[in-house]
Amino acid sequence: MASSSAMVDQRIFEQLQIKIDEDAQVRDQIRVITQTLERQGRNAQSVLSRAHSTPAANLQPVLEAAETAIKEEIESITKLAATTAGSPYYKYNGLWSRDVQNVVFSILLCGWLGGMSLQGTPEVGRLLTIEEVGQILNVPVNLKDQDAFHITIEEYLQSLITLIEELARLAINSVTLGDYQRPLQISQFVKDLHAGFQILNLKNDSLRRRSDSIKYNVKKIEDIVYDLSLRNLITRPGATTS
Amino acid sequence: MPGVKRHHDGAEKPKNTDAATSPFIGMFEVFRSELDEHHDRRERIIKASRDITAASKKIIFALQRVRTLNKAVPPKIAAEVLEKTTTMSTQFMAIVPDLVGINAWRYQRQISGGIQEYMEAISFQHYLQHQKLTTLEEASKLLPEGVNLTGDDYILGIFDLVGELMRFGITTMATTGSLPGSKEVEGSEEKRDLLMDLRLLRTSFEALDTTSCGGTGLGKDVEKKMEVMKTCVEKVETAVYGMIIRGRERPKGWVPDLADDRAPVESY
Repeated sequence: MASSSAMVDQRIFEQLQIKIDEDAQVRDQIRVITQTLERQGRNAQSVLSRAHSTPAANLQPVLEAAETAIKEEIESITKLAATTAGSPYYKYNGLWSRDVQNVVFSILLCGWLGGMSLQGTPEVGRLLTIEEVGQILNVPVNLKDQDAFHITIEEYLQSLITLIEELARLAINSVTLGDYQRPLQISQFVKDLHAGFQILNLKNDSLRRRSDSIKYNVKKIEDIVYDLSLRNLITRPGATTS
Repeated sequence: MPGVKRHHDGAEKPKNTDAATSPFIGMFEVFRSELDEHHDRRERIIKASRDITAASKKIIFALQRVRTLNKAVPPKIAAEVLEKTTTMSTQFMAIVPDLVGINAWRYQRQISGGIQEYMEAISFQHYLQHQKLTTLEEASKLLPEGVNLTGDDYILGIFDLVGELMRFGITTMATTGSLPGSKEVEGSEEKRDLLMDLRLLRTSFEALDTTSCGGTGLGKDVEKKMEVMKTCVEKVETAVYGMIIRGRERPKGWVPDLADDRAPVESY
């Protein structure tokens, strides 16, 4: 330390500059992948959007196309996980969180519509758990004792909210397609999710603000069910006589 | 007997599908406990960060009463600083478990304020004692194990150090009539004075290229702090100018008033 008599040891700033440059390099690498993810996300969502104008019976080709689109996204996620393997996860996760949420949402919607079957048994109206989403994406979820790429609970919940918004729209469009049963199914599903969100103690963050919108979607869907039942267009599954 | 809800026509109503029976409740209960844990940790860290900031500020206040460079801090002030440093390290120790592993960066934004202020305090102390800029490694060693000092927090803390050095310099000039570290006081040939140090710091900061950081984290703060830092250096430059040009006539203990122009220049 006594070697340099100046106040500032120039190595200090040289090393800081190296740190800054390394940091910028990682950011650039991540940005390349998130840009791809963004494009792939738009593609997957435009494919899935066709579900709004396709009767449930003819959905298979849409699901297959969506699965192909999602597969591309999964490849990007794999790349992202590999690229960021050497960096602290939370240092950069803000750079990709939004894109990851989009991917998770596509998977959730596709899964709800009957796609993404893990064991080959398609089931409509199913909620993929965060563990299943992680399995599909081939990344861990909710990591706590290890610093690596993963899907966070917050990201999953954000995607669930997007799913609810999308299902509210699907409920309306199902009626237009003459499908009067699906709104009922959506209504139950969304109500169950809403009940789940209600037990969370959310702080005043983005999750809280967005989850506040769930109740409006619940109401929107309930109104559709009301309209249908008022006109005797649905048979209630619980009612033995109609 | 618990009643069965029926429609008016006698048909049994479907089971009440409310919160209690949602199939997802189990999953959400797991999320709830995870999120609660996260929020609790986050709040503990925010609180610790505030306490550390407050303690650091007190250390800085105490150190601002020092009038000498390159010497040990007077015992009374040193005792005060030591006391605050001890409180601070207990505050740091309390949140170390919350900053373990992956969480070190998760709560970086929450702890960063406290660390920057702490950085400012210890670098100021280091400068008063050694007239040198403390290095990132030296500073990290002073932090409890498990608390991560990032390059960004180090830089931002040093930016604030310039402000403290400015206050130290101007107050010392006002009360002792000479710039800390100048030959006049130390009587040595090779001594650097505070202004030379500040200028070197300024040059080093200006050479730092942070454009690559963009609007994220460092890039955002540096721009603002750079301006403040430059103003601080200029204030000391003006004060030194005032001292040299008018200083010989004024009695000891006279406080330089930068807006004051009544003192005539000698050659008049």
